[in-house]
Amino acid sequence: MSTTLTDRRRTAPAPGTTPGDAVAPPRRTAWIPTLVLLLGAVYCLIPILWVVMASTKSSGELFTTFTFAPGSGLLDNLAELSHYRDGVYWQWMANSALYAGAGALLSAALSGVTGYALAKYRFRGRTAIFNILLAGVLMPPITLAVPQYLLMAQAGLADSYWSVLLPSIVSPYGIYLARIYAAAAIPDEVVEAARVDGAKEFRLFRSVALPMMVPGLVTVFLFQFVAIWNNFLLPYIMLGDDHKFPVTVGLYSLLQQGANAPALYTLVITGALLSVIPLILLFVGLQRFWRIDLLSGAVKS
Amino acid sequence: MHRRLALATAATLCGALALTACGSSGSGSDAAGPAAGPVKLTFWSWTPNMDKVAAIWNAAHPDIQVSVQKQASGDDLVTKTITAAKAGNAPDLLQAEYQALPTLVSNDVLADIAKQTAGTKDRFAAGVWQQVTLGSDAVYAVPEDTAPLALYYRQDLFQQYGLKVPTTWAEFADAARQLKQKDPAKALTTFSANDSGLFAGLAQQAGAKWWTSSGETWKVGIDDAAGKKVADFWGGLVKEGAIDNQPMYTPAWSKALNDGSQIAWVSAVWAPGVFTSSAPDTKGKWAIAPLPQWNAGESVTGSWGGSTTGVTTGAAKAGHADAAAQFATWLNTDPEAVAALVKEAGIYPAATAAQSGGALAAAPEFFANQPDFYTQAAAIAKNTAPAAWGPNVNVAYSTFKDAFGKAAQEKGDFSAALTAMQQATVADLKKNGFKTEG
Amino acid sequence: MASHQSRPSRRLAPYAFLSPAVVLFALFFALPIGYALYLSFRSVQVKGLGLGSHARTEVWAGLSNYASAISDPELLAGSGRTLLYGALLVPAMLGAALLLALLLDTPRVRLGALSRLAIFLPYAVPGIVASLLWGFLYLPTVSPGYFLLDRAGLGGPDLLHGNGLFVALANIAVWGGTGFNMIVIYTSLRAVPAELYEAARLDGASELQIALRIKIPMVLPSLVLTFFFSMIATLQVFSEPMTLKPLTNSMNSTWSPLMKVYRDAFVQGDIHSAAATSVVIAAATLVLSFSFLKLVNNRSDGGS
Repeated sequence: MSTTLTDRRRTAPAPGTTPGDAVAPPRRTAWIPTLVLLLGAVYCLIPILWVVMASTKSSGELFTTFTFAPGSGLLDNLAELSHYRDGVYWQWMANSALYAGAGALLSAALSGVTGYALAKYRFRGRTAIFNILLAGVLMPPITLAVPQYLLMAQAGLADSYWSVLLPSIVSPYGIYLARIYAAAAIPDEVVEAARVDGAKEFRLFRSVALPMMVPGLVTVFLFQFVAIWNNFLLPYIMLGDDHKFPVTVGLYSLLQQGANAPALYTLVITGALLSVIPLILLFVGLQRFWRIDLLSGAVKS
Repeated sequence: MHRRLALATAATLCGALALTACGSSGSGSDAAGPAAGPVKLTFWSWTPNMDKVAAIWNAAHPDIQVSVQKQASGDDLVTKTITAAKAGNAPDLLQAEYQALPTLVSNDVLADIAKQTAGTKDRFAAGVWQQVTLGSDAVYAVPEDTAPLALYYRQDLFQQYGLKVPTTWAEFADAARQLKQKDPAKALTTFSANDSGLFAGLAQQAGAKWWTSSGETWKVGIDDAAGKKVADFWGGLVKEGAIDNQPMYTPAWSKALNDGSQIAWVSAVWAPGVFTSSAPDTKGKWAIAPLPQWNAGESVTGSWGGSTTGVTTGAAKAGHADAAAQFATWLNTDPEAVAALVKEAGIYPAATAAQSGGALAAAPEFFANQPDFYTQAAAIAKNTAPAAWGPNVNVAYSTFKDAFGKAAQEKGDFSAALTAMQQATVADLKKNGFKTEG
Repeated sequence: MASHQSRPSRRLAPYAFLSPAVVLFALFFALPIGYALYLSFRSVQVKGLGLGSHARTEVWAGLSNYASAISDPELLAGSGRTLLYGALLVPAMLGAALLLALLLDTPRVRLGALSRLAIFLPYAVPGIVASLLWGFLYLPTVSPGYFLLDRAGLGGPDLLHGNGLFVALANIAVWGGTGFNMIVIYTSLRAVPAELYEAARLDGASELQIALRIKIPMVLPSLVLTFFFSMIATLQVFSEPMTLKPLTNSMNSTWSPLMKVYRDAFVQGDIHSAAATSVVIAAATLVLSFSFLKLVNNRSDGGS
């Protein structure tokens, strides 16, 4: 087997395999790349740090203290958020988890099977189908929201969980990514070898191709999860019942309570911060799965 | 193995999904007749704690159960409602601002509830009631809250700078100039282009009638003499630098109110709520005064906002118009309901009987320094100029933001901005086939 | 027997694999797009004052919505602003994403996982919060940044008016989008067989040379991908200007073409004009993006 996906540079050097490591001492840190990366991280984190600090402030402190010093209101903000409309905030979080979790899982599965077919088979209409799927990103979602609503209403699905979930499954981005990944990560020889062994096409996909695509599909899952989690317009239009709202639409309703009611800035900021935490946990958790290519490489050879 | 796990998770999630989707009671009007148990009504509202007020009704009326679905207020809610109505999914009851009523009626969202609200008219001021009838024999909603304009000013700072509380707009301009002279870092107030409602209220006070109809023809009078007078007045103050030109409701604006960089605000009777969240450090330092007048000795004001409760055509089709109208009337006229609205939601009720005494006997906590806050407010509200709304307020309002935003930033010609607003509004009416003049 | 069965199944397999995507795409993209197209040829006509029941009727409008969309000077002006914004944003964002991805892929980098997470994080911040956040960071009187500049005796730039506005907008997009693109590029870097580098290292190539000569050519498909999607995202720019709009007089409701679509559809309630304008935007995007894809087609086709 000439190619593997195994990335030995990041693991403990296997004995006698990587001559590169013999030249350079393995423990020395590459300082400049590390520093540039940390600089990028700081640039991205400073505004987020502001959100974290803002969430600790009471509404008085929010408009008076502008430094990054923490305030005194975090616990009050949390308690108030939990009590708002009998804890509807947590319902919103659960809804978001449902929309994003189920949507991204189905989306990754769909992207995987579609990207694999587009990358590894030659058939009539391949380019046409691919281009049409890709052209889906050309029509702005803003324009599609109202027609999607009217069609969902025709099907009797408006204001249901399905109305938000179903349109989230097809992701042209995900399909493109999965296709690129499948093309690069699944060697043709492996597919052919499995065919010679008599594997049926679906079994071939399931037990040979899919494991090799896992890191790519994890990426698709992650992107789509974040995209659905933060999607606003589609659920805003589709849903009337605020107990089905995802957290974005819910927070918006906290912010827009009419002119005579104060916008609940502190609740919105605290709620928003909490709503990002699952995304962070997911991202950290999935880092491990990105390493799964190591396993599949081993199985292959 | 991971695939199996993934599939299992997907199956579980979908199972949960199917359950919740099926188990949820559909919104909109249930087709079931009255014999099938209690009438279930849905109510779209952005008022905080509206569910608690509805709970009082639900406890007393087991046969008509109202469930509140809280929405975000704003321009896009009108579109969302119209779209839902088009698809037959509108709620039974609807909170709507006065200026949105013609648009909603025009899109066949609101039902005529004149029959069901026969005895209700006298509970409201004539100028308010006229806005829910659109000048016809029909009744399209029951008024919920009103929002007469007043002048809020920092008592302590006015004293410190030796400023007189202005009673006319000329005095208002003088106060702005004096303050600039004494402390260039401060401004009396700002002209904000990001809320059209305030400007509409100021134009009303000056006597503007933005939309009027005769026969089958709409007349748009946005750039009439009254409107021009108001535009030129504020444009002049911005141009000479007597007041600020940056938008309201930004963090910078909140800070300016909070640290005394801006010491007055023309706002509506609901302002205490905004002060509480935006300028918490200034508690007890503000006071309410009547809106400055164009002619000394008069006492006219306009409104900024206010909303109503309407019954949808969807509810009427499902045979729920009576039940829904009964709730809308109760919500806005029953003493217990209105008291709950004032207490739980902090609204200023439209029902005249509720505007003095009762829940409004004590001043808002933020204005503890002014115990007669609501007595003053009621006096100010008494002479509110009538509003005249038309079927495309949304177009006029969005043009206002663009045209006046540009004029304010460039310290340019406000009356040209007003003309742009007039032209865009008329052009939109014509495009939709309305007969127009003006 | 195996070969006897595998032939037809192999021919049919790709269609079977593609069918779920095609069905879902047809239902949730193609059908609404078709509906939007239909709406773009319709308009509303009103009888009388427009206040009674059934006062509004939908009628056939021919090309009139398209005529007014194309002849609206604001659409052209908005397109100009958008292109200027894109010229600032796309090179900055993709340059940063490529650099960071290559650095992440460099041997012996410390804290790589942490940096990667931090750089991706802004992508997860919802638009509502971004709006509040940048309000506090860009408005001079409430910004910690301006506070520090002031302390240092320096004046800050005006980021909410004039040319500063483009920088402010591009910064929000760079902040929010670099992580996403970095991950796309990084994922495809990890799909490159390590043997390729090892051979080069044996030949004495430096990490920089490896990056320039091997890695960048290898990730060209994903660079094309990210450029393609960034281009479309630029042409559809919406959330960044909407974020800043409440803070400044200098941003109107038709600043970008898609903001005009939003205003027409959701503020002024005219879905027909909005649909026509969207079709015009989509057509322009189609022409631009597919001519770009044609241009790079030979190299970007990663298929075997």
